[in-house]
Amino acid sequence: MRNLFLIIRREYLVRVRTKAFLMFTVLMPLLIGGAVVLPSRLMIHAAGTKHIMIVAADGALANSMKSELASSRASDDDDASQEKKQAKPDYDVDVQTAPSENLRERLTTQVRDGGLDGFAWIEPDVETTRKATFYSRNAGDFIEATMVNRALRFALCERQLAEKGLSPAQAKTLLSPVNLDTVHIDKQGSNKSNGMGAFFLPFLLLIAIYTTVLVYGLYVMRSVIEEKSSRVCEVLLGSVTPMQLMAGKIIGVGAVGLTQIGIWGAAGTVLGTGSFAMAHQFMGDSMKDAHISTGALVLFPVFFLLGYATYSCLYAAIGAMVNSDEEAQQLQFPVTLPLIACMIFATAIIRDPNTPLAFWLSIFPLTSPIIMFVRATESMPPTWQIALSIGISVLSIYGLVWVTSRIYRVGILMYGKRPTLPEILKWLRYT
Amino acid sequence: MAFTLELDRVTKTFDEFVAVNDLSFNIPAGEIFGLLGPNGAGKTSSIRMMIGITVPDSGAVRVFGQPLTRKLLDRVGYLPEERGLYKKMKIIENLVFFAQLKGLAVGDATRRANQWLERLELGKWGNSKVEELSKGMQQKVQFIAAVIHEPEFMILDEPFSGLDPASSLVLKDALLDLKKQGKTILFSTHRMDTVERLCDSICLVNQGRSVLLGVLRDIKASYGRSSVQLEYEGELPLLHDPTLVASSNDFGNYVELRLAPGADPQRLLAQAMQTATIRKFELVEPSLEEIFIDTVESTKAVSSHA
Repeated sequence: MRNLFLIIRREYLVRVRTKAFLMFTVLMPLLIGGAVVLPSRLMIHAAGTKHIMIVAADGALANSMKSELASSRASDDDDASQEKKQAKPDYDVDVQTAPSENLRERLTTQVRDGGLDGFAWIEPDVETTRKATFYSRNAGDFIEATMVNRALRFALCERQLAEKGLSPAQAKTLLSPVNLDTVHIDKQGSNKSNGMGAFFLPFLLLIAIYTTVLVYGLYVMRSVIEEKSSRVCEVLLGSVTPMQLMAGKIIGVGAVGLTQIGIWGAAGTVLGTGSFAMAHQFMGDSMKDAHISTGALVLFPVFFLLGYATYSCLYAAIGAMVNSDEEAQQLQFPVTLPLIACMIFATAIIRDPNTPLAFWLSIFPLTSPIIMFVRATESMPPTWQIALSIGISVLSIYGLVWVTSRIYRVGILMYGKRPTLPEILKWLRYT
Repeated sequence: MAFTLELDRVTKTFDEFVAVNDLSFNIPAGEIFGLLGPNGAGKTSSIRMMIGITVPDSGAVRVFGQPLTRKLLDRVGYLPEERGLYKKMKIIENLVFFAQLKGLAVGDATRRANQWLERLELGKWGNSKVEELSKGMQQKVQFIAAVIHEPEFMILDEPFSGLDPASSLVLKDALLDLKKQGKTILFSTHRMDTVERLCDSICLVNQGRSVLLGVLRDIKASYGRSSVQLEYEGELPLLHDPTLVASSNDFGNYVELRLAPGADPQRLLAQAMQTATIRKFELVEPSLEEIFIDTVESTKAVSSHA
């Protein structure tokens, strides 16, 4: 037992002290966080007062647009509007009622030089053609274009409603936007949720569990190859059993993984609130309901351990069979394939977590840790399914350990030619 | 007599290939024992069974008079043929880790590691990583790893490989010192000069079998003064005369030869003088190298006839 502990401790310390660990620990949340926060941050910076010109021969229409643009900030009446406001710019709108080619050229120059952020060119026959042009420096500036579009449509509607005898107040009520809440019903009750958010967070967690299982599985493989090629295992086997050596390695590297997840979890709890608030600002409603049940988060380390144990056994066996990293690369592909398959199917499963495909993938031991976890983040599957998935996974790990330890025991002392499949089957029978 | 190691009719087979075949020998406590043999003779396979890495198909391995168990291995030190150190770890970390696996506490391990590093002239390298060291230095570190827990029995696979003459001398002195302390040492090597100077007994293995076993002095004596060392200038056609010469190892102006049974050394000298100038003529016991080559050649002949 003491020796097992020594092996675990060495594996753990050697890895935790490396720069790679530090980088991975810091960079992974930064990358994911960056993907969430950065766009909204950029949007906030882009906000500010925008100077826009509306050119229309029809002054009443232009003024109607102007007032709509000015009031657009207050038009959202949902609870995210406070945050949303910051992401939207103020509009300083001027109206020109004498369109001419000369004016168009002047305004174009102004936009180009930065004196103006953009101008909308409304043709006189806009009521029939329903066409207008918005000039701006940045063609990708869809927020502006959308706002102008909306203002124009609003102004046109308002006018037609007025012609039909409605008061401006009545028209306003008629034209105010509606909010559609989607309510997601599952066994635990109902949760207000929204497509985007419900897709977004499980996807991040999917990437997190996939990456950790893969990276730490490969660590085990590399560690086995290192000890084999440096002949260290020959010295170690004079003191420890192959089983202790393999177990120590897998537990030690796994502990590094858990440490990392722990750090991410702690950092996520502290920073997460802030970064999601920022995400809300940009994505508004869509992120509002992007919350994950605590149950699913507790399952993360559980399914990480199951996935890690499964794949680290497979990778340890590969490490024991080969003589170098290059040889390992050829063998590791078929083993990594189910993991990649998880990523491919995951998108479909997040959208619809209760299909037969999702069920079977969450039972099959090579995919179950990841797929079952993804299903759990989306909507908690029945307890019996989770229990079945974990049970099958544990049984298969038990079998894998048996097979792997045999391959490992013989393999780490075999140098030279890579063994063929019949040879490996023979190894299993050695005592 | 107490035996440190006893191999009793040990056999190990990998698939069809018999790596070790019915091998038996005993090493008395306090001896330096040489396990010799050409490449692929089964030396490493035998050693692996002595330190419990593999288990014999049949036969028994006993250390310190008891059947081999993992517990007993704490009293055994092992130096593998190739370097087995963690390249990315510091020297001192490597040594302390291996010592701990053999049951030492961190404090003791660190103290002893530093003492040994001083002794083998590696004192200032303790905090360097293994990969920064030359091959010879790594070999010395590996040696320390094998002896740091003060084992009673040391198994050293080619301990002198990669060492310069000065380092070899330091290591040889360390070995003799350990012998004086009553430790038992098993060498595996094909460097005959080292064996000849250090070993008390030898076992020569070929194709998995023991072909020559015993106290080195007795073995050499049994061959008698039937060998001739000749320094010459000229031609020696008599080397191909089977009535005079059983076998020879010719270096051009120096030759070691074994007399044919019943051949008269004086007649050989007389004939040699007719075709060459003789600078030195000495009747000696055969060198271990001669015995080695001779024995290996003759077993090869037997097995190819069979």
